[in-house]
Amino acid sequence: MELSPSHDGVPAIVEAVGLHKRFGEGEVAVDALTDVTVDFPAGGFAAIMGPSGSGKSTLMHVLAGLDTPTSGTVRVAGVEITTLNDRELTHLRRERIGFIFQTFNLLPVLNAEENILLPLSIAGRKPDREWFDRLVDTVGIRDRLAHRPAEMSGGQQQRVAVARALISRPSVVFADEPSGNLDSKSSGDVLDLLRHAVDDFGQTVVMVTHDAHAASFADRLLVLADGRIVHDGEALSTEQALDLMKSVG
Amino acid sequence: MLALVLRGFLQRKVRVALTAVAIALGVSLMAGTYILTDTINGSFGTIFKTASKGHDVVVTPTQTLGRNVRSQTSPITEAMIARVRAVPGVAEAAGGIFTPGAILDTHGKRLSTGGAPAFVAATVPARFESFAPVAGRFPASPTEVAIDQATAQREGLRIGQQIIVAGSSVAHRYTIVGIVRFGGGESFGGAAAALLTPEEAQRVVGDPGHFDEIDVAAVSGVTPEQLRTRIRAVLPSTVDVRTGAQQAAKNTSDLEANLGFLRTFLLIFAYVALFVGAFIIFNTFSITVAQRAREFGLLRTLGGSRRQVLRSVLYESLLLGGVGATVGLLAGIGMAHALDQLFKAFGADIPDSGTVLQTRTIVVSLLVGVGVTVLAGLPPALRAMRVPPLAAMREGVQLPPRILTRRGAIIRVVIVAALVATDITKGPALLGVAVAALIGYILLLRARLRRGGLPRRAHVVPALARAIGVVVRWRGITGRLAEENSMRQPGRTMITAASLTVGLALVTLVAVLADGFKASIDQAVSRSFAGNLIVENSQENREQGIPAEVAARLRAVPGVASVTPIAFAVGRAKGGTSNSRITAIEPATFASMYRIEWHQGSNATLAQLDGSGAIATKEYASSHHLKVGGTIDVLAPTGHYVSLRIVGIVDENAANLLGDLTISRALATAAFGQREDALDFVSYVPGATDAQVQPAVDRMLAAAFPQTRSQTEAQFKQDTASQVNSLLTLIYVLLALSVIVSLFGIVNTLILSIYERTRELGMMRAIGTSRRQVRQMIRYESVITALIGGVFGLVIGVVAAVLITTLALSGSGYVQAYPIGTLLILLVVAALAGVFAAQLPARRAARLDMLEALASE
Repeated sequence: MELSPSHDGVPAIVEAVGLHKRFGEGEVAVDALTDVTVDFPAGGFAAIMGPSGSGKSTLMHVLAGLDTPTSGTVRVAGVEITTLNDRELTHLRRERIGFIFQTFNLLPVLNAEENILLPLSIAGRKPDREWFDRLVDTVGIRDRLAHRPAEMSGGQQQRVAVARALISRPSVVFADEPSGNLDSKSSGDVLDLLRHAVDDFGQTVVMVTHDAHAASFADRLLVLADGRIVHDGEALSTEQALDLMKSVG
Repeated sequence: MLALVLRGFLQRKVRVALTAVAIALGVSLMAGTYILTDTINGSFGTIFKTASKGHDVVVTPTQTLGRNVRSQTSPITEAMIARVRAVPGVAEAAGGIFTPGAILDTHGKRLSTGGAPAFVAATVPARFESFAPVAGRFPASPTEVAIDQATAQREGLRIGQQIIVAGSSVAHRYTIVGIVRFGGGESFGGAAAALLTPEEAQRVVGDPGHFDEIDVAAVSGVTPEQLRTRIRAVLPSTVDVRTGAQQAAKNTSDLEANLGFLRTFLLIFAYVALFVGAFIIFNTFSITVAQRAREFGLLRTLGGSRRQVLRSVLYESLLLGGVGATVGLLAGIGMAHALDQLFKAFGADIPDSGTVLQTRTIVVSLLVGVGVTVLAGLPPALRAMRVPPLAAMREGVQLPPRILTRRGAIIRVVIVAALVATDITKGPALLGVAVAALIGYILLLRARLRRGGLPRRAHVVPALARAIGVVVRWRGITGRLAEENSMRQPGRTMITAASLTVGLALVTLVAVLADGFKASIDQAVSRSFAGNLIVENSQENREQGIPAEVAARLRAVPGVASVTPIAFAVGRAKGGTSNSRITAIEPATFASMYRIEWHQGSNATLAQLDGSGAIATKEYASSHHLKVGGTIDVLAPTGHYVSLRIVGIVDENAANLLGDLTISRALATAAFGQREDALDFVSYVPGATDAQVQPAVDRMLAAAFPQTRSQTEAQFKQDTASQVNSLLTLIYVLLALSVIVSLFGIVNTLILSIYERTRELGMMRAIGTSRRQVRQMIRYESVITALIGGVFGLVIGVVAAVLITTLALSGSGYVQAYPIGTLLILLVVAALAGVFAAQLPARRAARLDMLEALASE
């Protein structure tokens, strides 16, 4: 895997250059992303914030290979993904990317253990038992492994989702409002887990959120407004981040 | 409100189309059945009218034993015709002959008639003749023949060529002198006809000096009715006298009665298809109503009344039923043609000149189509009505519990049974009962499923899905998920599967019964037949007999030790309403080739059969209170009573050769007018083999009786089996329609389920599930559903078959047999049906736009 060095010398896992994304055509066309160039070094925890319609979700979708940019390039783990076909993209997501969504992360027909192992099952790979046990203990759901999502609380479900995102040791985990639907206690638990994954497992995490408190768990904050990056720097405290959002919103 | 319904309709085109097809297919079979039978009726009506041209009065033998039993010895003689001629007002009277026979080429091969019968006819005076030469002329000498145009064209026959015409005597060759066509341009219902001179026709038919009818023309000034009365007065009661118009009407009504059976037979399949369609409509509406609970809640919040919500769903089913029934009705015209072709393929040609679309067909088809749809859509509509306004506010609304429970299920069984009964009362009621029982079982099962409260795992469906999941589980996660998904909504899966169950249960039932019948006949032949060869008419449906002369000629073949002729006749016990089966045997030779199971008497008893002696079966003896030494008066087809003295009682069953009564061959000829034999049993001299004797027998048969053939015991069994199989295939084809309808149901349910799982599929795709895996998952889910339907169908079909045979056929010698191979094939077919049904839904699921799916609610 050949990674281009990022500005501070750590190789970039995700690298986007000159991203444009336009929805619709003619007069009704909307530019969701305008000339976005950004990279995410390995082992970093980045939060992407921005008001509704700022393009933050679109950016994540494009970076994760869920959507294709109108122009520009994205490299994930050294692979140029904007030219990949559906099958190759599917493989990339399966092997290199972990996902955590706001809701509906789990398959209701599978129990917690099966849900965690789902990415490996899809890929037809044998699970690494040691890694699985470590993850289960880390997210603290050992006593819930045989339960189905309907029998678990929202926080527990989201913790299962974190374990699932990490099980295949992806190059990067994309989290889309992972704590958006949770009470503050569960929300803190899930964000702590992501922090933990970065610190202890060296996991790269990119999180989209509109919650300044959630963003404060990251070590880098990107702010998008009208499809452009308007801020890229150290993570800010909740208050600072709120002020920043006010200024761009 | 209607505008809203219409808009919703257009937005859900695929689903509407799929659901409408479910009802349209059943309606098309129903409409097709009516159109076909009406068309046949209409064609024959024209034919009969043409045939009665110039006939002011027609004299025919009285059919004392019902319209389908005709004495082989006609009471109409030259003397009787002379008596008619002497009646004042008669301008002309002539005897006519029109009897089933065989027309063959000079190699002894039957001319193809597309399955229609072939007739031997006699020429009649010009004013009565319904045939007209298109080339050549009518036969004038005993060696000449005229043949119908259709057959001549099909076989490329020309004037001057030779053909063989065979009936109840030694077959002769004839030179074609004319090509004729039936008056008015109609073909005679696809039948072939060979016209001979009257004397030669009588010889061929084997009834010299006798005619099938007398055609009479009146002098001017005498009405047919007046003439009829005068002729009636001078003729015995063994003949009927009708005016030409009456005769045509009688022929038409006889035909209609016979067609009634065909119509009922086909309508059963239409009802089955409609019933399956009803399942699908019920299921589709249930699912969509559940999916639209919020919409209904919103309507209620905005001030919509419960009645309005109910009406909106009912309008939808009404509209759907209207579309489905109309499409079905139009497709019915094509279906009538397809049925016609189907029967042709199975050897029954029916005339189809001018499609007849009666108002009755239109009304019944639309009414039944719309009725079934609305009825099936009613329970879901009632549920929609009960959605509370609050549902609009809630996430993941639960619908109020269904109103229908066991009581509802029973009500529906009654409705369906009543619907079926209206047309089946006179038909094969047994099948009707079986269908009703099956329906009841499924509905009760469903009612049980629905009551809820039971732990999920206790349901039948999950248990079955688990068991069947083995088939797909080895495929990894896609198989596992398919298995789980099929258990999510056990009720839904059950109903979807049940629609397939109906068709497959009937297929299984028929297959098991047919196998049993084959085994029964097999066993009966093995146990009873002690000869070497069986000689019979080579015509497929075994209705025509063989000339009595065959037996005598067979005895002269080298290597043949003994021949015993067997004939079948019918009679009616005095005071009885149904006909009795009578077997006629040759007492001296019969026991040497047939093992009789005596209840009272022995083979020595056969000697007493001479004269008026008769043997009764045990069952017949007890139902008619007969004892050895007692007598029974039996009405023969000739119109005379014959007094039979019971000399012995046998323990025979229905599958065997001996009928209710067994009499001597001589008595059958003398008293029952039975000239032809049905079969000849042949035994060889000691040491002779099939290879030595059968070719010699066949050579003799080919030369003198080309319409007959010989079969060894094994060949006979094989032939019987293939005849049963042929009927079986016809039934399979008709049931296939129901299976196709249920496929649409599976497609529909899958599409709706996929719609519900949009988010989930989006998530799965995001985390790396490939399109192929999604397709696989849907396909497996479909296969599981189909197999649940298949397993239920097999079980219900086998159980129904066992019930029917033990209840209705016990003691009849029925041998229970199970076509394991066929049943396994059925399961494979069910699985393949699942794969097939999954095509469209799987493609849809795989093509799902991931981002939209993730964003959807």
